Amino acid sequence: MIPELHVGWVLFAGAIGLIAIGVGGLLMSRDLFRVVLALAITEAGANLLLVLSGYRFDAIAPIVTNEVGGVMVDPVPQAMVLTAIVIGVGVQALALGLVLRIYRAYGSIDVAEVRRRMDDDIAAEAGLPLPSGREKPAVHS
Amino acid sequence: MSVLDQLLVFAFMTGAVASFIGDRRFAGTLLAILYFGQFLLLVKLAPLGYGAQPVVSAWQPALFGEVLVWRMDALGWYFALITVVAGWLVTWYASGEWGQGYRERGGNLGLMHTAVAANVVAMLLLLSSGNLLSLFVGWELVSWAGFLLMVMNGRESGGVSGPAGLRYITYATLGAMALLAALAIAHHASGSFEYIDLIDAVDQMTGPTRVSLVIAFALAFTIKMGLLPFHLWQAPAYAYSPGPGGAFLGAISSRVGLWGLAMVFGSLIGIGRIAGIELIPGWFDLRDVFMWVAALTIVLPTFTALRQNDARLLLAWHGIGQGGYMLLGLAAGDALGTGGGLMHVLNHASYQAPLFLAVFAVMHRTGTSDLNRLGGLVARMPLTFLVMLIGIIGLAGLPPMNGFVSKYLVYISLLRQGEPLLFILAVIGTLGTVLSVFKLLHNTFLGQLRVEHMEVREAPWSMLIPMLLMASVVVVTGTAPGLVLDWVASAQAALGLPVLDHTLGGAAGLDMLWVSGVLVYGFAVGTLLFLSGNKSRRVHQFDNYAGGHFLTAENQYQYSDQFYAGLMHHIGGWYRASFTWAESVVIASVDAMSAAANGFFRRTQAVFLLLLATLGSVAWLLWGVGS
Amino acid sequence: MNAIVLPVVLPLLAAFLLPSLARIWSSAARVLGPVLMLVSLCVLWTTWGEHPTPFVVALGGFQPPMGIAFHVDSVAMLFAFLVAGGALLMWPAWTDDDTMPRLAALTLLLVAAATGLALSGDLFNVYVFYELLSVASFGLVSARRTGAAFAAGFRYLVISGFGSVLALLGIALIYLRTGTLNIAHLGQLAPESLADPFGLAAFALLLLGFGVKAELFPVNTWVPEVYAGSSARVAGLLAGVVSKLAVLVVVRMLVVVFPHDETRMLLLILGVVGVLSGELAAWSAKDMRRMLAFSSIGQLGMIFIAFSIPGEAGWVAGLALVLHHLVVKSGLFLIADRWGGALQSLTGAARVSPFTAGLFVLFALSLIGVPPLPGFWAKLQLVIGLVENGNGVYLGALLVFLAATVIEANYLFRLAVAMYAEGASSTVTAPSGGNRIGAAIFAAVLVAAVFLLNPLSEAIDDLAVVGNDATGYMDSLAGGAR
Repeated sequence: MIPELHVGWVLFAGAIGLIAIGVGGLLMSRDLFRVVLALAITEAGANLLLVLSGYRFDAIAPIVTNEVGGVMVDPVPQAMVLTAIVIGVGVQALALGLVLRIYRAYGSIDVAEVRRRMDDDIAAEAGLPLPSGREKPAVHS
Repeated sequence: MSVLDQLLVFAFMTGAVASFIGDRRFAGTLLAILYFGQFLLLVKLAPLGYGAQPVVSAWQPALFGEVLVWRMDALGWYFALITVVAGWLVTWYASGEWGQGYRERGGNLGLMHTAVAANVVAMLLLLSSGNLLSLFVGWELVSWAGFLLMVMNGRESGGVSGPAGLRYITYATLGAMALLAALAIAHHASGSFEYIDLIDAVDQMTGPTRVSLVIAFALAFTIKMGLLPFHLWQAPAYAYSPGPGGAFLGAISSRVGLWGLAMVFGSLIGIGRIAGIELIPGWFDLRDVFMWVAALTIVLPTFTALRQNDARLLLAWHGIGQGGYMLLGLAAGDALGTGGGLMHVLNHASYQAPLFLAVFAVMHRTGTSDLNRLGGLVARMPLTFLVMLIGIIGLAGLPPMNGFVSKYLVYISLLRQGEPLLFILAVIGTLGTVLSVFKLLHNTFLGQLRVEHMEVREAPWSMLIPMLLMASVVVVTGTAPGLVLDWVASAQAALGLPVLDHTLGGAAGLDMLWVSGVLVYGFAVGTLLFLSGNKSRRVHQFDNYAGGHFLTAENQYQYSDQFYAGLMHHIGGWYRASFTWAESVVIASVDAMSAAANGFFRRTQAVFLLLLATLGSVAWLLWGVGS
Repeated sequence: MNAIVLPVVLPLLAAFLLPSLARIWSSAARVLGPVLMLVSLCVLWTTWGEHPTPFVVALGGFQPPMGIAFHVDSVAMLFAFLVAGGALLMWPAWTDDDTMPRLAALTLLLVAAATGLALSGDLFNVYVFYELLSVASFGLVSARRTGAAFAAGFRYLVISGFGSVLALLGIALIYLRTGTLNIAHLGQLAPESLADPFGLAAFALLLLGFGVKAELFPVNTWVPEVYAGSSARVAGLLAGVVSKLAVLVVVRMLVVVFPHDETRMLLLILGVVGVLSGELAAWSAKDMRRMLAFSSIGQLGMIFIAFSIPGEAGWVAGLALVLHHLVVKSGLFLIADRWGGALQSLTGAARVSPFTAGLFVLFALSLIGVPPLPGFWAKLQLVIGLVENGNGVYLGALLVFLAATVIEANYLFRLAVAMYAEGASSTVTAPSGGNRIGAAIFAAVLVAAVFLLNPLSEAIDDLAVVGNDATGYMDSLAGGAR
């Protein structure tokens, strides 16, 4: 007999899997846009975990109705997750905006290239020799 | 308000006056008078030097639950006396023509006066500290006041004073942190910062605690004294300070390290307990470490001094070596040794300061302290020559000057304790001192006068009087060492060390009154013989010949450069190089670690680290709770 | 409702209104932020006087632990006070150009979030304010609109974003166990439900998540480029003020909910490595901004070491270090506005502006801990606290701390000596009047503290008692909300 797979465990595994995928993406992406996507996936995993932390499969939705009896799902995590999702979206929008700005400034969204250009710019502003060994930083807006 | 409070307030006021009007023409004179006022207040405290009870300050601020206490005892008074007199005389020295010249060369005279005054205040605060916390406060103030004096001479020193000062302050911070560690250990062991509680707690300490306490104290105080292997900072830092400042620092500033060690050896921990910490059982204990460090500090820096061609550096290197005698005597632990060691502090200050000042007087007139570019100045600056002559006899430790008395006491102590090897090292050090101070005197004052110095005049009286006063101290305390030994004996009593049995003429069978009498008698006989002979005739130095050649400015019969060339060839410079090498290894390893830390911030994948740290700490917590 | 919510609500409101106001009446918009800071300071001052004991403010009228609550005690008030005061002195939006409204709005947002962080008594509220703080700081960091600022801001965002995910995970774990996020309530439940590996793992996640802003090792790799890429005042705000709020959050959790040896040890070890890495990296830094950035990593490490000491001794040392670092580092970053470039270019800078060089020396001396300056007393508290514990790891931390101080003295005074080098001409210009006045105020605070050491030490002792009083924190629930 196949043991019954509780749907909760599947969801837990899914949440952790999402986080793992996201972390993998953060580590391995060479492209800023993918980094943003990976961050979004990680956040989704964390949110799922949070909503699961208060969820009960035998309960009803936490809405006050005329129906009598029955245990309600804890509404607090759901409220919190809604907030977290909104915040997450805001942060992602900001991140995408920054990626766009970086692309306009450096003409590249490659992680290593941006890093190198940033180091050069900071060094040039401070009046130090450039770490990359170039003569002067490329012109940017 | 006790006399101690009056003294401290007066010293603060002197500093304030120096910082407000230090650059005026009359400031030096006014400040010298103020220092004399401090001296008078110290004289009012003189009963301390003859066994009176310590004087306590009425002001005891409590901060963060800890109290700062100031209390002056016989030891502190003895050191404070040297400090204030040194401050007084060097300020007098700077008050006239020297100060004018310094300002004309672009120096900041006001800052120099302020720095000297700050040094005196800091020293007084330190020397009268009544518990470990006020000791640390005073310690740091002395360190940083000294730093101010060392780095302020940028232009005069051609830019070398900055790096020398930076090296000093790095070493000094290392020492201060060692002292802070000692404070922490003491606080842990005794529950307070009071000396009394620490003394009570020493017996209950576990072995490792006591050893680490001794090591922490020793590290702090030996770094300040410039003992081996922490001596590299001292010579350049002192040599490139402005003249009177350098004389002050060289005379007394680094001796606060000895003051601290005297407290550790005497009252706080006790030389007996230190000797009880055996490194190789039956053969070698912690006290032996101190004695051997002291002996090597006598020999190696002294021979480094021999190699110097800058008179200032030569003297500064000797200052390090003389510290070795003081520690050697102190670590010997008996009445003779500690008495000799403590007496040597005053003796050293009394000849080191006028020697420095004499070198700066020569610099003031000739513009150089390079021993290869001087010579024959005795004909032009006879009184400065006299000061230096008295000074170097004292430094070399020959009778009838005071340096002989203290070294003699240390020698006798070593022989009585059965330490022939250390005695031999000390004597070798004296030999090196004799050689190098002769080089100093000869290359500056003897031989032929150089053409460019034909018009040089004697130093002005504003510089000569302080120098002569200091030199007279060397003679007087050399003839009647009992004057100083009274104070030394009180200091020994205050520390709980065995007290030196002495007379006005000396101790341990030495009677300097008699020795000086014989020397004066012999000198008188020689003078009579000289006067009874034919009159000598003065000729110009070029009105002469040597080896069949007539002499000209280019063709002299006597040269002062390449002194001791043969000896230099034999002793080489390996010991000096080995310490600079060790220092550079430390710097290189900090550099390497620093590069690694920079690399960490520059290159690592941040998210990867975050993940690693999370997993690591979660795993650690799971494991930690599970086990 | 209580006036104490005003320091959070007013800046938040103003942040949204300010861009519109700037179009109508730009000079009013320019002074609006600083005026609000003054108002906040007054409100906090009067509230501090009125309420000597901790109390709870229920937002929206729900009583804790159900509703969302502010927990107000003297420690929270102190940090709120520091936020308002620090922002007032470091106000980055005095500029005349069109970036002013945005900068001012973001700073107001930052202030509101930071104040909320200080006052929140609820873990999820902490998370929300923390995120708000993050968004505001990303904006401020990128506000210079150079490529480097954008790139640094983006890297900061990614690390901080991932840190937030970790914090959220920690919150989820805690909620899974206890079903509440009110910190006082958590403190009551913790001994049964969170004193196991599961709960401690949640703490580790929270620590590393919130540690990003607190410059905790090893999640602080954003620090050097962000402080070098953003404007000096923003860097000063982040290093001086914002980092301390994140520390407060972590330490509150440590004291109230997770007072275990393991958690303290974790904090201690990360602090020690932070001190080492920060001070060593600063030793070979080539420009002043990054030198200050690395040094602030080291100083924050010292603060973590201090708070890892159990009992009131840890709080005394920690609070003293927090206050001292806030004053000194803010002042140094104001100096670094014009002087932040290559250290080489500062050779001889004392002749360009003797006053500024003097201030630098004063700050450096206090940072090293030279008596009688306040830095010494803060460090002394740390040293005594570490030794009192007697434990081997704490003694190791003491050794590292002492060695780091030597390195600190070397690199700070290498620069100071170079500034006073004669015969060299520096290429830098004197700092602007505003920065000089700001730095002078911080220096005046520092010097005044020397003379007020006694009342200060008593105040810090009282604060430490409150901060360390976990039961007092939990009991505030029983007192009911106002």
